[in-house]
Amino acid sequence: MKKIKAGRQPNRSLAGDIGVGIVLVLFGCFFAFPLVYVINSAFKPLDELFVFPPRLFVRNPTTKNISDMFLLMNKQGVITFTRYAFNSLLITVVGTAGHILIASMAAYVLAKYRFPGSLTFFKMVTVALMFTGYVLAIPNYLIMARLGWVNTYLALIIPAFASPMGLFLMKQFMESSIPDVLVEAAKIDGAREGRIFFTIVMPLVKPAILTLMIFSIQGLWNNVGTTYIYSEELKTLPFALRTLAAGGVARTGVSSASTLFMMILPVVCFILAQSNIVETMASSGIKE
Amino acid sequence: MAKAKRRDLARGNAIAGYMFILPFIIGFVLFLLIPLVSSLYMSFTEVDALGKQGFTYTWIGLKNYNEVFFINEKYVPNLLTQLKNMALFVPGILVFSFFMAVLLNQDFHGRTFVRAVYFLPVILSSGIMVGLETNNSLLSSMKDLIEADTSSVSITKTLESILLTGQSASKFFQYVIDLVNQVYDIAIASGIQIIIFLSGLQTISPSMYEAAKIEGCTAWESFWKITFPMISSMILVNMVYTIVDFCTKSNSDLMTLITNTLYMNFEYGLTAAMSWVYFVIIMGILGILSFILTRWVYYYD
Repeated sequence: MKKIKAGRQPNRSLAGDIGVGIVLVLFGCFFAFPLVYVINSAFKPLDELFVFPPRLFVRNPTTKNISDMFLLMNKQGVITFTRYAFNSLLITVVGTAGHILIASMAAYVLAKYRFPGSLTFFKMVTVALMFTGYVLAIPNYLIMARLGWVNTYLALIIPAFASPMGLFLMKQFMESSIPDVLVEAAKIDGAREGRIFFTIVMPLVKPAILTLMIFSIQGLWNNVGTTYIYSEELKTLPFALRTLAAGGVARTGVSSASTLFMMILPVVCFILAQSNIVETMASSGIKE
Repeated sequence: MAKAKRRDLARGNAIAGYMFILPFIIGFVLFLLIPLVSSLYMSFTEVDALGKQGFTYTWIGLKNYNEVFFINEKYVPNLLTQLKNMALFVPGILVFSFFMAVLLNQDFHGRTFVRAVYFLPVILSSGIMVGLETNNSLLSSMKDLIEADTSSVSITKTLESILLTGQSASKFFQYVIDLVNQVYDIAIASGIQIIIFLSGLQTISPSMYEAAKIEGCTAWESFWKITFPMISSMILVNMVYTIVDFCTKSNSDLMTLITNTLYMNFEYGLTAAMSWVYFVIIMGILGILSFILTRWVYYYD
């Protein structure tokens, strides 16, 4: 797994490389522990789930939990599993795409231009980051009701567009990684704002975009969304899985399986994004 | 003529600028600013949500705040514990994630895999896991497992007692030992921070290191003279993120208290007051820290 590259740099000592490897493996175990536990739990038969003290590794693996999950899901009502999955997927994809576009557009303007109120606005965004979400639930609901968005996808998708975290991250990132000279040069060559943004700024902040994408997918994919959604056919996958898991002690196996299931999309997205991030940011496009 | 044209261009650019930022402003005002202001208003009122005509507000002045500070026996102690934990965790998380990001930015085989492993806690610790926790014994048994494993052997305990008996234990030792004891929590909480640092590290142009190497710079020197200044803006970002993330995590005692006040007792006004006190305090801390850090952040231009 962690083979050290043969062509080592001359000023890197072998002992140093081994040290780094050890540290990575050690902390990697910490990080991997919950995942190993979740995977193992998903395959444990019911009796093994309640063994005390709990065991990390499964003894007699079974796929019953997973098949139970699908079975229960389709038995529950008229709404099929695929419909829940579609709802969640739609919210995640549209919400993430919109969020990245809107947040980076605003961030570009805030990072590269000064206009009346720009600093105040950014400060307000930073402050809003810190507010605990629970208290906003009721005022938010009132607004959704007034807009007529209750019980539509819009109530889940549109607020995700304006999440302050994305703007904050993108602005800081653009400020530090896009030289003003580059934007100026493009302007002198006659590029309009839209063109500068899409062909120069966005490709340069690709790592930040992918980071933001991971964030956003993570948040939206796990969105239970029961506050605004009542119709069963609009409800999300996490909601459906949570309802299943709430069925009592006998459903412990099913709930472990559903936890594993919910993890698949974020993990896959991360791995894909990760391999794209690598080495794309070799140079900031400027030679002094 | 030429002058007039230039002004038009400038104005066109300004309009483009506003068009760029407008969607965000609308969303921000609608879904954050208005709710924020109305929750501030509600913190001065008694909200009756169960009445016949929907919500009714009765103005009661500072009574909710009085309750928060002087009547509720749990709020102030919980708040202090929370702030103490924050002082312990945030620097720990920052240092740890920076360190890990630097390591993960090195070139080695299986790097993608290792990075993915380091991102796992982010996926596991949010959303569905937290939601399932109440119904399922998974996380609680996981915690039991960890505790059962670590209670019998404790290197830090031994070390701590040695240091304490040797009279050499200062507050600093205490701090380090606390950190080491919490290393699992710190590691789990730093997934996003590692990614932010990593993406920051990847924007540093390799030609800088090359130039430094040609000039005879050692790796140690180029770390402090190139990596560190170039990443300093990300340190600020991460500090803000860590504090926000830590403070809004729903599993702390303080947050549980606030949520329970809302969902169990339906005292909306009181909940709003509690949140606003907490909010103002975090904001103050963040304001001071950012003020100090921004003077020191280096922007490459």
